[in-house]
Amino acid sequence: MIKVPLRLVVKNLLRHPVRSILTVLSLAVAVFLLCLLRSLVVSLDAGVREARSDRLIVQSAVSLFVYIPQSYDTKIRQVEGVEDVCSWTWFGGYYQEQSNFFAQFAVDSDRLLSMYPEMVLVEGSEADFLADRRGCLIGDQLASAYGFKLGDSIPIIGSLFPRTDGGTWDFQVKGIYTSTSSNVDRKTLFFHYKYLQESRDTGAASGPSNVAVFVVRLMDGARPEEVMARIDALFENGPQRVQTTTEAAFQAQFVSMVGNIPLFVSSLGGGVFLAILLAVINTMLMAAREQVQDSGIMKALGFTNLSVFLVLLLQSLLLALAGGGLGILAALGVADSIAEMIGSQFPGFAVTGETVLLAATLSIVIGLVAGLTPGLRLGRLNVAQSMRAEV
Amino acid sequence: MALVPLSYNLRSLLVRRSATLLTVLGIGATVAVVSGVLALQQGFERLFAESGREDLLVVLRKGATDEGGSVITRAQADTLVKSSTEIAVDPNGRPEASLESYLAVRRPKLDGGETNVPIRGVQQATFRIRGERLKIVEGRRFEMGADEVMVGRKLIGRIQDCGLGQVIVFNTTPFRVVGVFDYDGPFSSEIWGDVDRFAEALERKVYNRAILKLAPGVTVEQFSRHLEDDLQLPSDVLTERDFLMGQTRALSNMLLFLGGVLGLIMGIAAIFTATNTMLAALAARTHEIGILLSIGFRPITIFCSFLFEAILLCLLGGLVGCLITLPLHGIETGTINYQTFTEVAFAFQVTPRVLLVAISFSTLLGLLGGAWPAWRAARLAPTVALRRH
Repeated sequence: MIKVPLRLVVKNLLRHPVRSILTVLSLAVAVFLLCLLRSLVVSLDAGVREARSDRLIVQSAVSLFVYIPQSYDTKIRQVEGVEDVCSWTWFGGYYQEQSNFFAQFAVDSDRLLSMYPEMVLVEGSEADFLADRRGCLIGDQLASAYGFKLGDSIPIIGSLFPRTDGGTWDFQVKGIYTSTSSNVDRKTLFFHYKYLQESRDTGAASGPSNVAVFVVRLMDGARPEEVMARIDALFENGPQRVQTTTEAAFQAQFVSMVGNIPLFVSSLGGGVFLAILLAVINTMLMAAREQVQDSGIMKALGFTNLSVFLVLLLQSLLLALAGGGLGILAALGVADSIAEMIGSQFPGFAVTGETVLLAATLSIVIGLVAGLTPGLRLGRLNVAQSMRAEV
Repeated sequence: MALVPLSYNLRSLLVRRSATLLTVLGIGATVAVVSGVLALQQGFERLFAESGREDLLVVLRKGATDEGGSVITRAQADTLVKSSTEIAVDPNGRPEASLESYLAVRRPKLDGGETNVPIRGVQQATFRIRGERLKIVEGRRFEMGADEVMVGRKLIGRIQDCGLGQVIVFNTTPFRVVGVFDYDGPFSSEIWGDVDRFAEALERKVYNRAILKLAPGVTVEQFSRHLEDDLQLPSDVLTERDFLMGQTRALSNMLLFLGGVLGLIMGIAAIFTATNTMLAALAARTHEIGILLSIGFRPITIFCSFLFEAILLCLLGGLVGCLITLPLHGIETGTINYQTFTEVAFAFQVTPRVLLVAISFSTLLGLLGGAWPAWRAARLAPTVALRRH
């Protein structure tokens, strides 16, 4: 049985309380940062992972900004294997100032909620929404970000669809939804496509006609590849060629556009890790230097080299665990407010269990590595050498 | 007042080699992280802001936040160019104005995935207005009226079908790549062709913006009023430089924010590290401080000496950080510009400003990290400090 005097481990840590606290705090800060950076990278493709396999997206084959004719709706609906179709049109307006960015979509409102079972109304009702021509549904994060409440009127300035009178589009909040999947953004405003169409037709507003994309729900048992090919073939010769993809592939194109940024953020994380590892090694070297005489006394009392080594290693591990734990707790604590802050650019930002596990593992690695070299050195010194050592 | 010789600090750092090295490297990594983000931001900002011209105006439909959201009909465009005496004319009497179309098209990347590449339809006048700064690197310009395009240099090697002689299909019309061009600015991530041919192929018979030069003596305000009052064309008129700066604000601010947050959080960790190192130095040199005090050095001198050593330590770290960041200079990368949803390629720029921030940042770390240990050193009583423990 290896004897490790645990009290000595604790006493040693408390011998320099300032140093221990500073080390723990800087570890906490670094682990906190690592958690957030990784969450940022992970959130980028959350939409891809949580995409549903029973939905397809029909978009222009040329560009996301080329709209496709509304009349495609009936043709797509007749394709074998298609259960339902719902159009989405990017509205591209802003609330009061351009910096207040959140997404607005004009949708076939009567089909939206049945198409997206992951959208759950927490306030208001679908019937109220459908009954009001200018009604809208907003995400709960959007509601809390700007303090919008049920029954409020939200004035939106249309930059893609300006109103002819120069005024704002006033949408009435008829429902607030939340989402059970990061696939549906909780900071979006949905309103009736019919209202947009009507305003355009009567000349009350201008902007591109037609719709941006169609979301298609497959019938049970329909094979996505076959349905995709059938839809694309319908419009092969124009007027607008379309490209039908799975929801996952649609989300993936946005991830792909982000380019090398995930790699860059990961290297930042590497830098953070390196900096903190060096700092903890430094602390442990200082501790080892001071504990040379103690280790000599321990050995004289009959403790083995291994025990002496373990005393130092345990100190290092305890520091790392305390720091890492604090950092993880802090990251979990602020995760929600950060998700709200950057939700529109990084929907699905969350500190996942995997991230926590990774952070905990990294903390332990730091503790082990930092304790190893100085610990081994102490373990190897013979009694006479260490007793004589000058501090 | 006698100062403690600086060589004393240098030697002290040398004596505690491992602690010095570890601290310097740790602070170096911190500084490198912050200056890496800044170098990315500088590259982005330089690409946009510094390539924009002051003498060139961009006209967008009023309220549009970018080219994609701005629509100018053919009829409006005709009125704009033909009924504005405010627009400068070249020696042959042609107005110095050009109408352009803009669309982000879906293109496959060479390394897999898809991205949005901007295609710009231009008129002959664009070449006159752009002049010498538009360089043909390979091949030739596209012919007006032909189904030909030239591609920006930065698309080569990143986007499929962009090589000389290859064919790019827009909707159902094939276009042949006949040239590669370069222009210092975001244009070198674009594909250019005849505005009318693009309109035909994409069935978008509208323009997205006009670029023009004003006749001598005409101000932007006068021209803007003329458009709104005389021509019933409410527009946003701004210099190309302001326009490009507006296009980058979101991403640029995001990077600055990221750099700031990283700097703040990691700075705190680095300060703690520096404090720890200096406290250990203090503990090891208590005896020496006792000697210094007893031979007449004043506490304030001791304070300065310790603080100087901390700053020196962190400055070395800052230097290491700069050395890590420097090789990034010029490395090209691409990312999405959220404002236009298109991909732009740009290079890390380790500008003097980045280095200056890195050095000031590390000095600040030294000041904050060294203050408390230095203060403790200065407050030691000589008799206590001299006593061997």
